[in-house]
Amino acid sequence: MSTMDRRTFLKTTGAGALGATALLSACGSDDGSAPGGPTSVRYAWWGNNIRQQNYTTALELFQEEHPDITIETEFAEYTAFQERMTTQMAARDVPDIFWIASAQVMTYEKNGLYRSLEGLDALDLSDFSDQDIEFFKLNGELNTMPHGSFVPVVRYNQTYLEEDGYELPGDADWTWENLADFLIDYNDNNPNGRRGLPYDADHDISFEAWLRQHGQQLWTEDGEMGFDAEALAGWFEWWERLRTAGAALSISEQDGIGPDWAEVGERVLVKFGSSNHIIDEAQVFPDSTFKLRPAPAIPDAAAGHKFIYYPRLAVYQGIDDAQAQAAASVVSFNINSVDFLKTVGLTMGAPPNPRLLQEAYEFASDDEQEMLAVVESETDAERSPRYEAPAGTSTWRTVMSRAAEEIALERSGIAEASEAMIAEIQAGIDQEK
Amino acid sequence: MATMLAESRARRASRPPSSSHVVRRRRNAVFKHAGLWVFMIAMIYPLIWMGVSSFKPGNLVLSEPGLIPSEVTLENFTEGWNVLNRPFSVFFVNSLIVTVGSIVGNLFSCSLAAYALARLQFKARKVYFAITLASVMLPMHVLVIPQYIFFSELGWVNTYFPLLIPKFLATDAFFVFLMVQFIRTIPRDLDRAAWIDGAGPFLTFWHVILPLMRPALVTTTIFTFIWTWNDFFTPLIYLTSVDMYTVPVALSSMVDSETQSGIGMLFAMSLLSLIPVMLFFVFAQRYLIRGIATTGLK
Amino acid sequence: MARRIRHGAGVRDASAPASAASDPDDAASSGNPTAESSGTRAAASGSGRKFHLRRQGRAAHVFLLPWLLGFGLVTSVPLFASLYLAFTDYNVLSSPRFTGLSNFERMLSDDRFWAAVSVTARYVFISVPLQLGFALLLALILDRGLRGLAFYRGAFYLPSLLGSSVAVAILWREIFGHDGLVNDALAWFGIEGQSWLQNPSTALSTLMVLNVWTFGSPMVIFLAGLRQIPEDLYEAARVDGASKIRQFTHVTIPLLTPIIFFNLILQTIGSFQAFTQAHIISGGTGGPVDSTLFYTLYLYQQGFNSFNMGYASALAWVLMLAIAVVTAIHFFLSKYWVFYGDD
Repeated sequence: MSTMDRRTFLKTTGAGALGATALLSACGSDDGSAPGGPTSVRYAWWGNNIRQQNYTTALELFQEEHPDITIETEFAEYTAFQERMTTQMAARDVPDIFWIASAQVMTYEKNGLYRSLEGLDALDLSDFSDQDIEFFKLNGELNTMPHGSFVPVVRYNQTYLEEDGYELPGDADWTWENLADFLIDYNDNNPNGRRGLPYDADHDISFEAWLRQHGQQLWTEDGEMGFDAEALAGWFEWWERLRTAGAALSISEQDGIGPDWAEVGERVLVKFGSSNHIIDEAQVFPDSTFKLRPAPAIPDAAAGHKFIYYPRLAVYQGIDDAQAQAAASVVSFNINSVDFLKTVGLTMGAPPNPRLLQEAYEFASDDEQEMLAVVESETDAERSPRYEAPAGTSTWRTVMSRAAEEIALERSGIAEASEAMIAEIQAGIDQEK
Repeated sequence: MATMLAESRARRASRPPSSSHVVRRRRNAVFKHAGLWVFMIAMIYPLIWMGVSSFKPGNLVLSEPGLIPSEVTLENFTEGWNVLNRPFSVFFVNSLIVTVGSIVGNLFSCSLAAYALARLQFKARKVYFAITLASVMLPMHVLVIPQYIFFSELGWVNTYFPLLIPKFLATDAFFVFLMVQFIRTIPRDLDRAAWIDGAGPFLTFWHVILPLMRPALVTTTIFTFIWTWNDFFTPLIYLTSVDMYTVPVALSSMVDSETQSGIGMLFAMSLLSLIPVMLFFVFAQRYLIRGIATTGLK
Repeated sequence: MARRIRHGAGVRDASAPASAASDPDDAASSGNPTAESSGTRAAASGSGRKFHLRRQGRAAHVFLLPWLLGFGLVTSVPLFASLYLAFTDYNVLSSPRFTGLSNFERMLSDDRFWAAVSVTARYVFISVPLQLGFALLLALILDRGLRGLAFYRGAFYLPSLLGSSVAVAILWREIFGHDGLVNDALAWFGIEGQSWLQNPSTALSTLMVLNVWTFGSPMVIFLAGLRQIPEDLYEAARVDGASKIRQFTHVTIPLLTPIIFFNLILQTIGSFQAFTQAHIISGGTGGPVDSTLFYTLYLYQQGFNSFNMGYASALAWVLMLAIAVVTAIHFFLSKYWVFYGDD
């Protein structure tokens, strides 16, 4: 008896209790949809209170247009969302539509939690090109849908640049080397004692940009690591140069890796991050104007190194066809409706739908326009495919943060920390096999 | 109150008061109070800071962390109160339902179990006591998923049953253990006498043990209130619709780990949610005194 | 009635090093009310005693009915489930697969496991005595004989109310962070501080401070315990001419030992399982570089972040065994210092 399904497992571990379960469950639980009648769909997402309000309003818009479909919302803050999600998945009591945290995409896929979206008529994909759809697929199947998009960026404080009389390297000279030189110079010589940037050596998609430029990638198509210790060490070295020169804040100065923007924002000129963060983070310092640049490149970067990161949502596999059609029409509204987009705003990044991207310019704020433009410029670039983190690597970002801490706190050398990080992530992948 | 009076009366009776003695005692009291105040302010400084910060505009909380605000506003309270499209009172009421239910459940079930484990003699007692202790020892995180599966099979997700029913079944082993320890400090002569007088175990429990374990009952009430009021994980997992949320789950939605933009509101609403707990504590701890006043001076 | 009997249990009874029982069962066999009193009563006989025992057994199960139901329905299933899962590979999303002892073998070569063991052990052995000492001291000060006791108690309890709130992460940074209060104070003396939270050699200490700061719960239990000490024992001691100090060492402390013991046991268990505060303050990572990686935090990371619920269950049962051993040692040692009123 090496494997057993959940039900037998429960029965063997608590036969008595389950007897009572059967008795009691007779008076509990309704299963939502009656065939032909009104359908109820559960929609689960994460964020802060503002996003909760916006999505609730937007989903009400949908219900006004589709009176036969009721949406039950399930919302929580990001960490709490994942805790609840894990528990629900263990009990197979999963919301019909749910957002997927980036590191879990392939873990869920491997465990068959996604329903295929192909053949669901209610899902309108007419705005997307065939190439877009190819990029959205996981293992050749369209079973998740992007509902946002962002790219790695360098965000800089335009007000500080002007006050201090500095100018960033031009687009043609926008290399890692030049940026580092510039930041060290700025840090040492600016008249207001401002610093270069926070220490963000563990920022995932900036690192991914670095790898792709060096002809490597984060993950391969067959679910392996796509980079070696050398490329990783090169990345850490770039950050170490800035840190030891004082241009990057130390872990102590910024109170930890992954600093709070509210605490460091006033002290630094630039920050590495994801393009969508400008929307919330610029508002913390209303006296400054923030601008975006794409991540710097190396002079002879590999072809197709540009990429777009898509946050995804999915429809749960364990629901019947009628329910799935209703869920698909919610998803369709979510990714295609300009009213929906207007209501929820752009905190999940630029809309992946190219038509919506254009329409969004009309109502976007200055910060949002900045974000849309940088994403659009990357959309137009040549892009080779990118793959999601395979099962067993869902904690790879914290492993990387720990490696970056080890280095920045001078507790281990770059080569040593890089190899340890790769070994730990590899062990996670092997564990899953 | 009664004890304080009794005690000072006793002291006065035993030692004839002299004026220098009174002065010395007053001076001592002043020092004691001054010392306590200094110490207390050091202890609650973080809370004072939090209180002040909740009146600052949200974006200044972290960027201008001083105690004297450059700008004062009530917007954290007004915005925070309506944070999830509904008045915050909804979450207060929900928390109150869960909390009061839990208190009743724990008092009822744990005192019964504790009496049996502390005073009655029967074969399986050692085993039961070991199980009680063992269930305090196992980290809850590995129990969460099997327990959730169980309650979800019952169809109890998004109801208060998974939060309340276990309390009526003495699953908070902590309190069983607490009460066992308290009952064991009660001199056995007391219930022995009752037993001799012909009262059975139930009457003895009701008339002798229960009144005498009042401090333990008050302690249980206080802790159940506070822990249930502050509990985050259980309501998070079982209560999925916002209308059912308890206060801590609602508070967590103000946490934005990227920008800390909701921090002013978080502070303001955390402060408000402290008020009922604080009031309850101040009210309930009086009974820690009265418990002895009635039993000791009867 | 109560008063009459109280005088029977005089002050000498309480302070004499009676043979304190290690657990309720031993106490019961020596001090069962029915069994003993039956000797003094003419009505009692050998068969009556048996009858009483049987009656007690039945009564006990009536008293224990909710508990038995709770154990059967709510506690036992997760308990045995987690025991079974400890021997499986269970990723939460699909069915568990039996793998024998491999989870336990894995621990032996898991560096982070050993890091977590070390962090937790240091935390337990340092912060539990500190917190209990602190709580007892304040409970004694706030016990009686002071104006405004309710106010003081409330004020000193405040930190504990907030101890597990999400707001604590920010508060602690305002104190121990790079620009926090501690460093402001050091700057007065011309010392340039660093972030105490982000230095791997001081981060754990800040969490110990946090634990001591939230001393309210053991303090309340101590206060309740002090209230439980019969007033007439003090009276009797005063009549015997015992000084305040002698009353403290011969009445208060001996009669408080069951409560001290209870607090010691539960704070030890609680510290072995310390999770929430480390989770909040390190943002769930146990950082910097695993210096605050508490055992339960690691267990949680394995179960909920890495989806190794089988391994997490194995970790949980190892922790439980460790706690059981320490608790057993405490119970054994308690024979020498805990005095029960029921002997």
